[in-house]
Amino acid sequence: MNKDAALKIINAARHRGRTMLSEYEAKKVLCHYDIPVTREKLITERRGLEYAVHEIGYPLVLKGCSPDIAHKTEKNLIRVDIRNFDEAVHAYGEINAALDGASGGVLAQEMIPGRRELVMGMTRDDQFGPCVMFGLGGIFTEILEDISFRKAPIDARDAMQMMQEIRGRKILDAIRGMEAADTNALAEILIRLGQIGLEIDAVAEIDINPVIISGSRPVAVDALIVLRPQ
Amino acid sequence: MDPLNASTDYERIFHPERIAIIGVSGKGAGFGARLFYSLRAIGYAGEIFLVNPKGGQLDGHEIYESIEAIPGGFDLAIIAVAASAVPEALEACRLKGAAAAEILSAGFSELGTPEGMALEKQIMDVAARGIRVIGPNCFGMYVPKSGLTVLPGPDLSREPGPVAFSSQSGGMAVDFANMGKSTGLTFSKVVSFGNGVDLRETELLDYFGQDMQTRIIAMYIEGVKNGDAFFKTLKKVAAHKPVIVMKGGLSAAGSRAVLSHTASMGGSARIWEAILKQANAVQVFDMSEMARTCLAFTHLQPGTYRHISVLGGGGALGVAAADAAEAVGMKIPPFSPDLKTRIDDLLPRPGSSGANPVDVANPFVAPQVLKDVLLLAAEDDRIELQILITLFHHYKTIAQMMGMPVKDIVPYNELAVGVAEVIDKTSKPVVLILNNPKRGLDHMDVVEMIEEARRAFLKRGIPVFDDLKEAMGAIGHINAYYGGKTDE
Repeated sequence: MNKDAALKIINAARHRGRTMLSEYEAKKVLCHYDIPVTREKLITERRGLEYAVHEIGYPLVLKGCSPDIAHKTEKNLIRVDIRNFDEAVHAYGEINAALDGASGGVLAQEMIPGRRELVMGMTRDDQFGPCVMFGLGGIFTEILEDISFRKAPIDARDAMQMMQEIRGRKILDAIRGMEAADTNALAEILIRLGQIGLEIDAVAEIDINPVIISGSRPVAVDALIVLRPQ
Repeated sequence: MDPLNASTDYERIFHPERIAIIGVSGKGAGFGARLFYSLRAIGYAGEIFLVNPKGGQLDGHEIYESIEAIPGGFDLAIIAVAASAVPEALEACRLKGAAAAEILSAGFSELGTPEGMALEKQIMDVAARGIRVIGPNCFGMYVPKSGLTVLPGPDLSREPGPVAFSSQSGGMAVDFANMGKSTGLTFSKVVSFGNGVDLRETELLDYFGQDMQTRIIAMYIEGVKNGDAFFKTLKKVAAHKPVIVMKGGLSAAGSRAVLSHTASMGGSARIWEAILKQANAVQVFDMSEMARTCLAFTHLQPGTYRHISVLGGGGALGVAAADAAEAVGMKIPPFSPDLKTRIDDLLPRPGSSGANPVDVANPFVAPQVLKDVLLLAAEDDRIELQILITLFHHYKTIAQMMGMPVKDIVPYNELAVGVAEVIDKTSKPVVLILNNPKRGLDHMDVVEMIEEARRAFLKRGIPVFDDLKEAMGAIGHINAYYGGKTDE
């Protein structure tokens, strides 16, 4: 874990008056807290595309990545399952057009196979301080609101209870030919999120959505970090 | 965090030998005089000193013209003067060496005015110099053992018991104390702390956690002063005593404008639910659920009751019992064919069923038979608790035919004695349901009989509920609490 490195990213953004981190920055912060994230490269100019896609490999995902845009799907900024360079060039052009001059760049990231999507997050309650959330992810987060909370700090037992508390808890079991999710690894992420909340005051809210279960292993595929206004 | 204040003399606060009531009208009107009547009506045995600048007498009791004029000291002050005169009165009580003052007067921060806020701040300043304050804007304390009572509580019970209750709302405190009297709950201490400038939820919780007279803690909370301190104390106390919490004013949505889904879904309803689960406290959603839950914790031994038998009658008994049990994770396992046959042999035919649930088919089955059925059902090793549903209201028809009062023909006493023997012999608790759909004006005799019956069972330590589903909900809370505890 490297709190100072995480703080550096956050302070740099705040220094520029921003109240949000880009996905790329948010994942770096998570990474410094040992939360597994996708392999990815930020492309800020067209000529960087070839090197980036070569590094990540196909199939891959391209996303518009801007600290000004909290929810990318709504802005049509995500292209998945890109299988060759022609597709990458085409997608890159479309995303750049959709970004419409917003600051940032295009993020090339590995495509994580897995059909199970979870959400994890951190929010600050006025009375109880940082609280950690777990639930069904992707589009089901808003539709079902099948979630649970705990006040930070949480221990492994709290984290396991959070996972057992949602109605859709069977999603973590070995089902339909899929392996059981690694609940220890999931618990570890929840514990770390609580730790960020306790250690870094400047972080107001975190969404990791989705966390995709790849095999049994959870990976943070998209992330949003909202900063407290200064 | 707010640690338990070692210098606070709780004994003097809850069991005062001398009480001063500041602000008593010689005409007998107002909060002060009414509380004086309440204390005398409930039978407070200590000395009471009345204070009013005009002096005079109330019912032959001398009214002192000042606090200073009271001969000697006192343990507890009850202050009911105008808000603007409270800080000065409080300071005078402090100088007299009172351990605490309950301030009934209103007109402070609850008004939201600068004057109200300033007066409340003055109270805090006096309190910080060395007197504990309950209130202002509260109904005070009810302590059956010492005969201390709340303002509208002249007729509350003097029977002490294991339940402590703290409440921001005075109305809730009085209602709960009254509900207790009618449902068989007994109290160690009930505290209404109103605006809670000094002594409030967290410190009271900590104290109740250590109080030898308190086994079960109930709380009505609107807001807490310090979330972290409250959570830590709750977790600590709930580890050894059940804490039952009703939180008023919960919202589903987060209050601030937020960007993340996590924050938008983290409204107070979800966060409080999480906090209470995390601390292994029991969350209830209304006062009657709180009363039922406290009653169950009062009478049932610590532990979990997951496999139960249900005996009795009533509409769709089998289905209703199964549904209610499943909702709280309890099972009603069918008896073995052999046991079923032995129970069948005791029951009237046709229409009865000795399976579990046992349908006795007839509301007039003799207490001795019910007792024998309970004894047999307890032979099933899996059964941890038995629920007996009575249908006493049906006796009304017979009473009318015989021209006798219904309470004279219902064998509730005999059944209560029998059930107590079953509990003794089997070491398995029995919970009683006093089902009664006849509650209208034309059935006041049935209502009276039911209340007599309730008393007969409660007297023998048998918890009584009005409804099967409600009873199972209360037992479900016990399972959640002790189940959560043993996971430690």
